[in-house]
Amino acid sequence: MTTATLTTPLPALDHGRSGLANQVRSEWTKLRSVRSTWICLVIVFVAGIGLSALVSNVEAGQWAHLGLADRASFDPVRFSQTGSFLSQFVVGVLGAMVITSEYATGSIRTTLSITSKRTTVLAAKLIVIGVVVFVIAEVTAFASFFVGQAVLLAHGAKALPPGSTIITQVHSATIPYVSLSDGGALRAVFLSGTYLLLLALLACAIGFVLRNTAGAIAAFVGVLLVLPLIVSVLPSSVAHSFEKYLPSNLGLAMTLVTTRKTDFAGVLFTPWTATAILLVYAAIAVVLAAWLLVRRDA
Amino acid sequence: MITAERLTKSYGSTRAVAGLSFEVRPGVVTGFLGPNGSGKSTTMRLVMGLDHPDSGTVTIGGRRFHDLRWPLREVGALLEAKAIHPGRSAYNHLLSMAQTNSIPKARVDEVLGLVGLEAVAGRKAGKFSLGMSQRLGIASALLGDPGVLLFDEPINGLDPEGILWVRTLLQSLAGEGRTIFVSSHLMSEMALTATDLVVIGRGELIADTTVEDFIASNTEATVLVRTPEADRLYHALSTAGAGVRSRDDGGLLVTGLDAARIGDLALESGVALHELSPVQASLEEVFMDLTSDMVDYHGHTPLEVGA
Repeated sequence: MTTATLTTPLPALDHGRSGLANQVRSEWTKLRSVRSTWICLVIVFVAGIGLSALVSNVEAGQWAHLGLADRASFDPVRFSQTGSFLSQFVVGVLGAMVITSEYATGSIRTTLSITSKRTTVLAAKLIVIGVVVFVIAEVTAFASFFVGQAVLLAHGAKALPPGSTIITQVHSATIPYVSLSDGGALRAVFLSGTYLLLLALLACAIGFVLRNTAGAIAAFVGVLLVLPLIVSVLPSSVAHSFEKYLPSNLGLAMTLVTTRKTDFAGVLFTPWTATAILLVYAAIAVVLAAWLLVRRDA
Repeated sequence: MITAERLTKSYGSTRAVAGLSFEVRPGVVTGFLGPNGSGKSTTMRLVMGLDHPDSGTVTIGGRRFHDLRWPLREVGALLEAKAIHPGRSAYNHLLSMAQTNSIPKARVDEVLGLVGLEAVAGRKAGKFSLGMSQRLGIASALLGDPGVLLFDEPINGLDPEGILWVRTLLQSLAGEGRTIFVSSHLMSEMALTATDLVVIGRGELIADTTVEDFIASNTEATVLVRTPEADRLYHALSTAGAGVRSRDDGGLLVTGLDAARIGDLALESGVALHELSPVQASLEEVFMDLTSDMVDYHGHTPLEVGA
């Protein structure tokens, strides 16, 4: 081995400083260069399409035998978004791992020792994971929607006339399906992807706060699965005022279509209010993450 | 140039570094010595802005870490060789670092070549041996062509050829006018590599000096004497006020008298000498002597001082 001298000096940078654009490029390189990222993204897409086809097929096959109540809750949009129940955990793991894997391996100390502002690292990770999850979640949501409706059509589904209500649906002889232009469908599908985006950001912020993969994922799953269980055993008067604030119920509110809105009137927030509340949760977690990141030793 | 002024840092009730002041000058290799747990790694983390000092400051070229505009271009560090995502390739690891400081891609290939890892650039870092990880860590420290470099135990896990390579690399980097601050628990290695020394024990400064002065000012001259009449010589030397210790092989280690005076005393006592040789204390011995009461964790096998 020869003596090492650094032959080519780097071009000098007299102006500016290492900033957000630099960090975003770096975080994208990190995210795309580990296999777990691609595994998670494939799971989101395949589960989205697959569960949409499966559930739509099963539900359509049962239409003839359904009672009034089941027909009333027959929701072609929600059937197509069944995969999001699984995907919410996948994007949560992805969002948390973006930072907790760095704490697990110790590479966080490399990350923080090559950038002078720590909040830039937080912002860059949120941007990169946000963009990646938003793209895959929206692509999956819309693809799942069209796959689901195609399956219903194959079962002889027909569109309900404009201005239909639940009553129309219950008395319809054929399976209903919807198009994106039907009331609330476009919004429900779009917010189905947005729900996953906000959960990924929330999970990432939780990861920054807890700095531990198992802890962050446990906390995230706890919020989505365990919190509703706890609320459900509370006295119903108390539970009623709490349950619409649960992230899982905010997600439900975001993806409901208008024909079913009456079922949940007063129980759930309106779709856009629910979106705003979930955004506030994520924002609170991000502010806490930033506050701790700047103050704690790495 | 690295300047630490009255650096103090505690973790809970554990005091890691206390009132530590030192200066690391450019152009030479500065060794950073201390027993395990003495605060070396804490100090390096404080330099790199990873931990916040309770009081005191540390600056790189006159500025604190968080005031550096392109940190990787001003200070490079190898702190933990294995602190790399095991599923990411060496190339992508370095690329992600380069991008944070607008360092061109070509530079990544260059440093990989420099440390001899170009053939495994696409391999996952998790499959690397400790020696290869050390080389990758050195590559990442050199990525930004910085004027100040910190290495925490860089020769851990390297084979003899690798150790020689690191020694040569550190000296040639210093020769280019860079500031090189390198910690090691291998004191003998520092004697070969470093010019300056910062020595700490229990988080406090013991010495900030050159290797030469450190040895000279901290050792009593010791002379090894062999004689068939050890008892008589022992008596004569003790009477003259020398410190005498017996070695297992029958030799005597004499302190407090120089070789000439010992020879004269032997002649006066009519004792024949078979050997009379001054012993050069190694940095290792000096260091052990100086820090023996400052080691937090030590075994209880007595240490034999001697050649």
